[in-house]
Amino acid sequence: MPIGEVIESNTRQFVAEVYRDQAPPAFGSWVCVTLTGGWTLYGLVSHVELGSTEPGRRPMALGRTPDELRREMPHVLELIRTTFRAQVLAYEDPQGRMHQTLPPYPAAIHAFVEACPPTIVQRLSQPYDFLRTLVQSPDPAVPIDDLLVAVLRQIRAGYRDPEGTQALIEAGRLLSRLLRDDHERLEAILRRVT
Amino acid sequence: MLDFAQLQHQLQGFAAYQQRQRNVLQEKLRAALETWTAAPEADGLREQVEAARPSWLVAQPLSPKLQERVPAPERPATVTVVAADGSQIFPNRHVEPPCFLINVGRVAFQLGTLEPPVLESIPRFYYRQEDLRDLLDDRFETVSVEIVSALRDEQELEALLELAVTAQQEGRPLVALLDGTLIRWMIRRLHQRDLEEQLIGRYVRLLERFQEAQIPLASYISRPGGAEVVNLLRVVRGECASSPPAISLEGLPDRLLFGRLLQPGERSGIFLSGSHIQQAYARPHQIAYIYLAVPGPYDTMEIARVEFPQWVAQREDWLDLIHAVLLKECEKGQGYPMALAEAHERAIIRGADREAFYEFIGRQLGQDGMMLESSRKQMSKRRPVL
Repeated sequence: MPIGEVIESNTRQFVAEVYRDQAPPAFGSWVCVTLTGGWTLYGLVSHVELGSTEPGRRPMALGRTPDELRREMPHVLELIRTTFRAQVLAYEDPQGRMHQTLPPYPAAIHAFVEACPPTIVQRLSQPYDFLRTLVQSPDPAVPIDDLLVAVLRQIRAGYRDPEGTQALIEAGRLLSRLLRDDHERLEAILRRVT
Repeated sequence: MLDFAQLQHQLQGFAAYQQRQRNVLQEKLRAALETWTAAPEADGLREQVEAARPSWLVAQPLSPKLQERVPAPERPATVTVVAADGSQIFPNRHVEPPCFLINVGRVAFQLGTLEPPVLESIPRFYYRQEDLRDLLDDRFETVSVEIVSALRDEQELEALLELAVTAQQEGRPLVALLDGTLIRWMIRRLHQRDLEEQLIGRYVRLLERFQEAQIPLASYISRPGGAEVVNLLRVVRGECASSPPAISLEGLPDRLLFGRLLQPGERSGIFLSGSHIQQAYARPHQIAYIYLAVPGPYDTMEIARVEFPQWVAQREDWLDLIHAVLLKECEKGQGYPMALAEAHERAIIRGADREAFYEFIGRQLGQDGMMLESSRKQMSKRRPVL
């Protein structure tokens, strides 16, 4: 069941609009988009935004409860939409092999976006190359450390324990190397994961 | 380029002049209020107007008492509100081939319920001689701004009727709203009798269909400029007589008068418009109106004019419904009816859309090896030379 549709796309990321009756994906969770030819792109949700569908019309304080809005000013709710940005960090080729790197082709506009089950992290594990891409080429508009906290949480939650803790340790080790032994920074991240 | 330095000099007397004008208006207002309080009953007024035969347009009071004021009624918990508005891209003399666009926005709200609203935009593109066959003898190129405007008004009314009929729910009251006046006086500007008669005929037939469907129709005018009620007071004061009073009420608009007479939320008595074009309408469809004191943000108040065909005016329950609905809509819309504002949003064609429209039709023509040609003047406006 798709949760949304791609409305902007490039090699590194895509933006999708969430369908009205669907919930948006969580920050730091994985979503996927299938391309024609059997490729599947995996994106990490780095930004979720609520806004108006029409340029030039912006939400204003109205002093009404959601129920009052639905009954008396329903168009106000119709004109609000949720979008999210996902950084594309891995893809699966038509043979089913997972590659933790930027894909050869970007997602198509209007392609359906699905939320991945939490167990997807099991396929996006060692050697955790996607963490490398994430840390070295972060999305400038996103606080990278907070995203890393969310990613690590997802890693641990995607396995039954004790595999979850084990996976977290492995990811943490790579992160420590990527952060060039910035112990303070690594500690601040790991502290927030637990 | 605007030379503000030069403009500055010309503005020297502006504020002082406005102040003087304001003082004059205040004097007229005081005189008008005196006449208002002492005015006779509706029958007596009618006699006075007939006897005086004024040259200006005078309102005919339909309520028995001139000074009638009706407080805000309660709006029903659930009600259907339908509204329509229109916009256009006029034929552009500098663009070839000639064409124009009318865009109608219409909305239907099932207020008080969780039913979804209808929010629609309906564009209609005109480029064929046949499309205007009924209205235009000359070549398509000669279609004027006035004809396009008249067509737009007609389409707004028709689109409103269609939506009202489909949106109507059994047992639920409904109101159909338009922005602007229902009095088609601007049709007389066409200066083509046959065309005018045709347009008015079509308009009145639409009003008849509203009546047949028993759909209360009203239009809303923000900051109305009319002075028909003041003109009535001018007759009462003897301004038509051989020795008129020193101060004339001429120049005083009705809204200033009612701004003093009405409390926030109240509506005035009903008046029948004295506009000459009314004579072309059959009696039941002649347009009547009330003035409404609409509360705005920060304790302000605006006087609006609400117009409707006479057959609506005859139903007290419909007037109460229109009154209550408009007040509630204005509350939600910060002083202007929300449903009309939404219809307007659906209708309006903004600059970017306008550009996109010309590009769009340019591409359509391009597919057939043709070009959208602009005059040299138009192109020089787009790219002024430095």
